[in-house]
Amino acid sequence: MKRVGIICAVALVTLFSVGPFVWIVGASLKTPATITARPPTIVPDFATTFYETAFGEHNILRYALNSAIVAGTTTLITIVLAALAAYPLARLRLRRRGVILGIVLGASMFPQIAIVGGVYRMLSHWGLLNTYPGLILPYTALALPLAIWILTVFFRALPRELEEAAIVDGCGPVATLRRVFIPLAAPGIFTAAILVFIQSWNEFFFALLITTDPSVQTLPVGIAKFPGQYMVPWGELAAAAVVATVPLVIVVLVLQRRITSGLTAGAVKG
Amino acid sequence: MTNGRKIPQTISFTCYLRIVVCLPLLAASVSSCGGGSTDDGRTVVRVVTWKPDYPHLWDTALARFHRANPDIRIAREIGPQNSTQLHDLLTQKLRNRDVSVDAFLMDVIWTAEFARAGWAAPLDDRFPPEERAQFFAGCIAADVVGDGIYGVPFNTDSGVLYYRTDLLDKYGFAPPRTWPELVDQVDSILAGEDDPRLSGYSGQFRQYEGLVCNMLEFVGANGGDLLAPSTPEVIAAVEFVRDRIIAGVAPRGVLTYQEQESLDLFASGGAIFHRNWPYAWAVCRETAMAGKVGIARLPTFKPGMSTAALGGWRFGVSAFSQHPDEAWRVVAFLTSPEMQELFAVEGGKAPARRALYQDADVLGANPHFAALYDVFETATPRPRSPIYPELSHILQRFLHAAIADTLSEIPALAHQAAVAIQTAQARID
Amino acid sequence: MNGNRTLGYSMLAPALIVIGVFILYPIVGAFVTSFFADTPFAPRRFVGLGNFARLTGDDPAIGSVGFTLLFVAVSTTLEILLGLLMALVMHHTWRGRGWIRAAVLIPWAIPTVVTAVMWKFMFNDQYGFFNLLWHGNAIEYYTAWLADPGSARLAIIMADVWKTSSFAALIILAGLQTIPRELYDAARVDGAGAFRRFRAITLPLLRPAIVLALLFRVIDAFRVFDLVYVMTQGAPGNSTSVLQFYGYQKMFPEQQFGYGSAISVVVFLMIAVFGWIAVRMLSTRMHES
Repeated sequence: MKRVGIICAVALVTLFSVGPFVWIVGASLKTPATITARPPTIVPDFATTFYETAFGEHNILRYALNSAIVAGTTTLITIVLAALAAYPLARLRLRRRGVILGIVLGASMFPQIAIVGGVYRMLSHWGLLNTYPGLILPYTALALPLAIWILTVFFRALPRELEEAAIVDGCGPVATLRRVFIPLAAPGIFTAAILVFIQSWNEFFFALLITTDPSVQTLPVGIAKFPGQYMVPWGELAAAAVVATVPLVIVVLVLQRRITSGLTAGAVKG
Repeated sequence: MTNGRKIPQTISFTCYLRIVVCLPLLAASVSSCGGGSTDDGRTVVRVVTWKPDYPHLWDTALARFHRANPDIRIAREIGPQNSTQLHDLLTQKLRNRDVSVDAFLMDVIWTAEFARAGWAAPLDDRFPPEERAQFFAGCIAADVVGDGIYGVPFNTDSGVLYYRTDLLDKYGFAPPRTWPELVDQVDSILAGEDDPRLSGYSGQFRQYEGLVCNMLEFVGANGGDLLAPSTPEVIAAVEFVRDRIIAGVAPRGVLTYQEQESLDLFASGGAIFHRNWPYAWAVCRETAMAGKVGIARLPTFKPGMSTAALGGWRFGVSAFSQHPDEAWRVVAFLTSPEMQELFAVEGGKAPARRALYQDADVLGANPHFAALYDVFETATPRPRSPIYPELSHILQRFLHAAIADTLSEIPALAHQAAVAIQTAQARID
Repeated sequence: MNGNRTLGYSMLAPALIVIGVFILYPIVGAFVTSFFADTPFAPRRFVGLGNFARLTGDDPAIGSVGFTLLFVAVSTTLEILLGLLMALVMHHTWRGRGWIRAAVLIPWAIPTVVTAVMWKFMFNDQYGFFNLLWHGNAIEYYTAWLADPGSARLAIIMADVWKTSSFAALIILAGLQTIPRELYDAARVDGAGAFRRFRAITLPLLRPAIVLALLFRVIDAFRVFDLVYVMTQGAPGNSTSVLQFYGYQKMFPEQQFGYGSAISVVVFLMIAVFGWIAVRMLSTRMHES
């Protein structure tokens, strides 16, 4: 009974999440003639016309590569900085811990539209427009609050005994962080990593204003350039959606194996 | 305490981390440095454009320019073709007096804003009246602000009426001259055809800039002015759209259509009449409607007041450019007769220069341009104001709310819009 | 101990510096600008609270506030509930769990601009997916979802819930993974049924994760922008305009930076109030556990 219930739940959840995406994959495999047919056809023609246009004329691979570089670097830097910051916030008795956490949270609450102007001016001043760091630095700043909060919450939840054992062994804070916390808080760390990666991969407005050189533009901006002045290429956009999503799915498949119960994994080693 | 001995160990780990983190940043910044403004001796002119529909045309054009002007290199910054997004990214640069922009494309509705803000350089001495006379008067008027001219027209655009020649011939109709006549023709044809999938009219009534264009055409045809929404002419025109078009001959979906969706309906045989820009002509030729599509001037309410919204793009020179002379040479080249002919023949773009409408090559590739010459000559611009974006938002909200709800109180909504318009204009005076 | 404190602060420093330079400093700039009238057409001048006063008389802005609150309340609630459901499903599936997780993350993974265009495509009244589902081949009955305020609002909420439930699911899943299995085993030995175990063990220990997801979902829901920008532009009328979108319209297309910054400040204050409430809930739970 329980098995049937779980299978039903899995089916529903999968249908909900993947249903619209399957429709889009289908749309990407139609032809220009059938994609705007009234009423819509259910079975696609399995044509690759739209993909050919997306890769050829629209150069989607270059944009995907740029996104990968920007998002990957952002994630790496963010997780490192956030882990370094979360340990003192979670464990060391710092007097202004609450204030710092509040400021970090407050930073993430401000509408991003309003800070684009200030960020743009700074990047322009430092000559970082149309460069990778010009995107990586703001994206890191935007992702840090979420990452710091997730990691702080997860570090706090870990039992003190293992940490105390490490301190007795002579580890300073950074070593404790490295040897005890990171393995145990792996679910939190990889969760944060996935979310930061996706957030940076999908960010649009900052990228639109900061990168106008096609060799540096990221995928969302590249996709925004698909439509012509009056024409909306539904098919190519569908193909772009598939191309934009597949790498993320791969990243998730790889990282999600690490979201396992941390206590059993780490305690024996330490 | 072992702290004394432990700290060096942990600090070195942190140092190591920081180095690991900084290296990619350094590498990335070194490899992607933006170019300076001189490049192997040539002056670099940066032009902000949109992604073209025909990239190879631009490559051809730029190649020709480089051959004729070996001392200049054009570097393009390419944004989306979406007018709003391009406006966002261009104004961001100009607000910050970015010296890396030398020339840019402007939509017809931006020139007043860019001129008043001091972002577009005046071009009077470079673009004398004799030269201006070679372009459509409407295009030039859109670029004249006060006493100066701030843009050079690149192409032009205006609203036209498409119709199904097969259906009109079958019922013995000529293209309608007035909007009520169009509605009558639709009623007759729909009664005769008995096809539930056929509707009467397809246009762009989504809440976006195109709505202002469509409604400008209705309001202007009744002698009204969009900036005076409380006047009877405007109210009558809006009521007509609400009752006879949206709730009448057009499917309700037009309230969500931009050009693409409205054309899809017409090109798949779903509408008898269709309002769109000239580009749709070439698209229709490749669909099931090939050979069945006619093009005509838009209908009117009052005689002789048929109104077509003016569109099109123009080039401007940045007031902050460090190479205004070179930038001007680029602009002059791209708007020259040769270039406008190239884009017309191979790209289907309607040139802004009058003489090209007698050119055999241009008309050979675009036969419908002959009929459209008069329409382009008399196209009506949208209100020219430095705060046009704000006025457009006010009008869009008013117009969409007015036509979407069959029970809307149009005079009240119009009055609200009029007050908002006056307040906005007062703020910059 | 002192050495530890200094080291602690120095571990915090890199993150705080990045946040300080790229977020806090521009935020201060935005706050300052909100007290000025700043357009390209006139010199910048100080207006004190003038922008905020103007906001109270601005009908489209007030309408936007209404929909913003509705949007936050409805979509966040649905997202947390769905996220909880999806997290439980992901947690209890053993075969193919990687694929389930990837499937659940797909909505979050697609760039928002693409999502918005795709949902617009699916709500289309000629060739849209939902009309196909609802009416089959009878295209005479196809409706234009985005043409009417009620259905347009529903459409935006649906698109957002679809997209961000996975965010909540992922955070709650990570929380589920840190609950020690021994507690469940002990409870099972004591004879507690599945529902009892859920209520007594799962839910309380999951509270920090749920509140964390809720906190960030609320913050993001108040700032929703991309969906409105691409799907409806606030239409029909003003019905799907959220305050953040209205602020964008003032700042970018209309170049009124002072007024737009003031609107952003108001959005920030709204978020701060709700965020503070959520944080109180989170910290009391953290102290308890």
